[in-house]
Amino acid sequence: MRPALPAWLPPRILIGGAVGILLLALIPAVLGLSPYVLNLLTLTLLTVSATLAWNWLGGYLGQVSFGHAAMFGVGGFVAARIQLSGAPLPLGWLIGGIAAAALALVWGHPTLRLRGPYFSIATIGVGEATRLVMTYWDWLTGGSSGLSLPVDLTLKAQLYYWALALAAVALLTSYALRRSSLGLSLVAIRSDTDAAADVGVRPTLLQDSVLFLSALFTGVAGGLYASYFSFIEPNDMFGFDRSISFVLMAVIGGVGTIAGPAIGAVVFVLVRQFLIASYPDLYLGLYGALLILVVLFEPLGVTGLGLRALRLWPRRAARAGEAR
Amino acid sequence: MAQLLDLLVSALLLAGLYATMAYGLGLIYGVLRIVNLSHAGFIMAGAYLGWVLHTKVGIDPYLSIPIVLGAAYAAGVLLYKGLVKRLPRGVAGGVQSLLLLFGASLLLRNGAYLLFSGNDQTVRTSYSTKALTLLGTSFSINRLAVFGIAIATLVGLHLFLTKTYPGKAIRAVAQNENSCTLVGIDVERISSMAFGLGTALASLAGLLAGTLFSFNPSFGSVELLKSFVVVVLGGLGSVPALAAAALVLALVEVFAILLIPSYLTSAVGFVLLVLVLIIRPGGLLGKRAIG
Amino acid sequence: MRLAPGVALALVLSLPLACKKGGESPAAASDGTIIIGATLPLTGSEARIGGFYKEGYELAFEEVTKAGGLEVAGKKLPVKLVLLDDTSAQATAASLAERLIHQDNAQFLLGTYSSHLVEAQSVVAEQSAVPYVNGGGGASHIYQRKFKQLFGLLAPVESLAAAQMEWIDAQQKAGKLKKPASIALLWENTAHGNDFRKGVQGFVAQHAADYQIAIDESFELNGRDFGALLGKVKAANTDVFLADAHLPDYITLQRQYVTAGLCHKVQSYGARGSEKQAAEALGKEHVQYVLSAVWWSSQLESTQPSVKKFNQLFKARFNRLPEWYQALGYETARALFLAIQQAGSTDREKVRAKLAALSVDSILPGGRLSFPAEHGQQAQNPFVVQQNQPDGQSPIVWPKDVASNPGVAPNPSCAK
Repeated sequence: MRPALPAWLPPRILIGGAVGILLLALIPAVLGLSPYVLNLLTLTLLTVSATLAWNWLGGYLGQVSFGHAAMFGVGGFVAARIQLSGAPLPLGWLIGGIAAAALALVWGHPTLRLRGPYFSIATIGVGEATRLVMTYWDWLTGGSSGLSLPVDLTLKAQLYYWALALAAVALLTSYALRRSSLGLSLVAIRSDTDAAADVGVRPTLLQDSVLFLSALFTGVAGGLYASYFSFIEPNDMFGFDRSISFVLMAVIGGVGTIAGPAIGAVVFVLVRQFLIASYPDLYLGLYGALLILVVLFEPLGVTGLGLRALRLWPRRAARAGEAR
Repeated sequence: MAQLLDLLVSALLLAGLYATMAYGLGLIYGVLRIVNLSHAGFIMAGAYLGWVLHTKVGIDPYLSIPIVLGAAYAAGVLLYKGLVKRLPRGVAGGVQSLLLLFGASLLLRNGAYLLFSGNDQTVRTSYSTKALTLLGTSFSINRLAVFGIAIATLVGLHLFLTKTYPGKAIRAVAQNENSCTLVGIDVERISSMAFGLGTALASLAGLLAGTLFSFNPSFGSVELLKSFVVVVLGGLGSVPALAAAALVLALVEVFAILLIPSYLTSAVGFVLLVLVLIIRPGGLLGKRAIG
Repeated sequence: MRLAPGVALALVLSLPLACKKGGESPAAASDGTIIIGATLPLTGSEARIGGFYKEGYELAFEEVTKAGGLEVAGKKLPVKLVLLDDTSAQATAASLAERLIHQDNAQFLLGTYSSHLVEAQSVVAEQSAVPYVNGGGGASHIYQRKFKQLFGLLAPVESLAAAQMEWIDAQQKAGKLKKPASIALLWENTAHGNDFRKGVQGFVAQHAADYQIAIDESFELNGRDFGALLGKVKAANTDVFLADAHLPDYITLQRQYVTAGLCHKVQSYGARGSEKQAAEALGKEHVQYVLSAVWWSSQLESTQPSVKKFNQLFKARFNRLPEWYQALGYETARALFLAIQQAGSTDREKVRAKLAALSVDSILPGGRLSFPAEHGQQAQNPFVVQQNQPDGQSPIVWPKDVASNPGVAPNPSCAK
């Protein structure tokens, strides 16, 4: 007998996803990866989670945030402080995420009502103000000297599985937010907030909830990141470059698609890791060029390119639209 | 008392710089409803162009203003015709233009990096460390000149927008694009002119800032952020309101040092930005129309 | 069946595995080459300084290669430097350290430049039990973690501030500064600036009757307008102006300082001050009598023969005099070489033990190099304090035994 599943989750997606996660979970044991590759995978998975979380707000709701580093940083530092107080790591990550989400609601509830680029500009202000204040507040962040966490020799191997779990939940959430009936409401809000309100969708509540979720996952990813590096420093955690990188990854991967931002994150991390070693002078310009190309020719980014390739294969043409 | 006078002078001079930085961003937003993130790139480019002309050709930065304005205007028109024009207009294109122009900014930054390396540069002229002393307060000649140019730009831009035909056309497009087409204004031409003008003003600000501060290829992002604050305070579009907003921001930032640690004074502007957006999205001082 | 997103994601994620195959270098031990890994900021905002350290590393490695290799237990083993660019980004620096250890098979690591990068990398070295010697991280809290693998050649920044205060104190004792003297303390909000502030505060706390800090303010790296801050400094009318800044901020701040009509009896920008670039950007007359304390100076050659040898070596290769960055880079690599030789083995633990016990002649001020355990294996060499003179030179004015000039205080160019 088939177990009861919600209507938005067809079994083949569930099975496919589960197989993928299982493969990733088995990789370290089966292939005997070097710690370098394993750690790179961990970092990629963390970036994937944060970028997916960014996409719920920036893609599904169309509210492009240039300030997500604020949540990433708050999650990281709160988690680090809790870890230093001796509490178990997962508790620290969770509280870090909740702290980040709470902070996001404080500034997000009023600013989410802004339309178009006004919201983006407000997030820049939020991000920069948070960075400055956090660098000043050394009771929380250790100031510009940063915070050091105790070095645990076995932690990094475990973190891979935690990061994998986070990415899996983030992916499932991405899917749920898009395909459930909630997803339709989000699309309605993105295309016309007022009209959506007229037909009975509650934009304020939904926007706030999506921001809360997005900030929660970003904060938890920040907490895991802090544990991973055992040393965090506010100018790095809260940096404008970090905020920008979430935007870049999501846009290059396919903004508003379910898994596109994840692919964008993978591409971004790999490019950073392998291109930087050989062509450090060119990577900024490369991102710039990619951004321009994506905006002009393929608004769905890498995902859009993949869909086009699928469409060239006539038999699949009918199904290709589904992935959007 | 003497300190208050010093702070007031600092704030005034700083306001001049902030105003020049914000005119270009405000103009492009007013006409095209586009948030020009390549503003940062052109500020940086202006600083480098001034530096190259000064150190390699030997032209004084203030004499190179026409060259920089012309070059940046051409680059702006090119950028508009090549990329920006292809985007949908209005709110739909808002986020896309944000990303597109950010991409352009990254390309400019990378270009400067390849040409000039990441090292910090400074422009040194015979007057860059000269000062006038009046009433026990010292005025940097360079800062005074920047302030003068800010005022001149304010007056010039205001007259251009209110008294000349192209200026009036720009205001007309800013107010209502559709009826412009009806009365025979070439909206495309006016838009590209506005974009070019905005870019030229950004480079002018970069040139001036380059005579005051050290700069490298990432120069301009701080300036862009300040310009945002000014434009949001001033209400996106009116030139005198922008100048007034620049003064407000400078006064708040400078006098904040009497109350809070110096390090946090730059956060004040950002907090102000968010508050104004929440309370009065149209700006504190502004009306919608430009001019 | 259509690929579900999860599987697709798994495939994309396994891309690094493919890269791993291609990037793997042949086993190191075949000809006994000692592979030493390092990262430096070769591009990005710190590229200039990263390039200086690179020159120091190259010089040290070339010297060994010219000698036919490093003599380890009677055999000459070649040394190879694998140098990667960390672009001054923390996450990159840590990842690349992992890559150097696990993929490039580096047996030992040399450090990068600036404290927060060293702090991030040293975690990786400690986790993998790889000795990590650096000449670019001076913040003392890095060493307070008591890592076993971490060795630092830069003496703490607190001592830098203290060295300047000692010279100032000598001037005060000679009656050239009034008592108590008031200090305006401005520091960039970075690990470096933080420690500078602590150093000044510590000294003042011990001499509470002689000094008082009237202004204690921080500013942001790459600051633009210091008008408000300088207004405050002017109003406080202090005797001493102590700032800690990077080179671009030093130039920007000093320009505004001069045009604001400020002048202090003693003025310093921490480690900055004697740079030729600053004199060019500001004019010689606007940087004169600025005090600076650095970890090394080529002028030490008049009292230390080893410095003279190093200067000649460097000049022969690069055709100019070295600054402290190159000297520290060179000495960092040399310290590791010496420890390997003393260990008579390339075994990591044996080399680590020798580093911990190292006590050798050095080009650093004080003439000896060791990594005292009570300071978390951070070298504690003295600083040299220099002061710019009207002729454009910056002679050493402190400590007394190496000083070639007593220094000038109060600043004679201040009016009244």
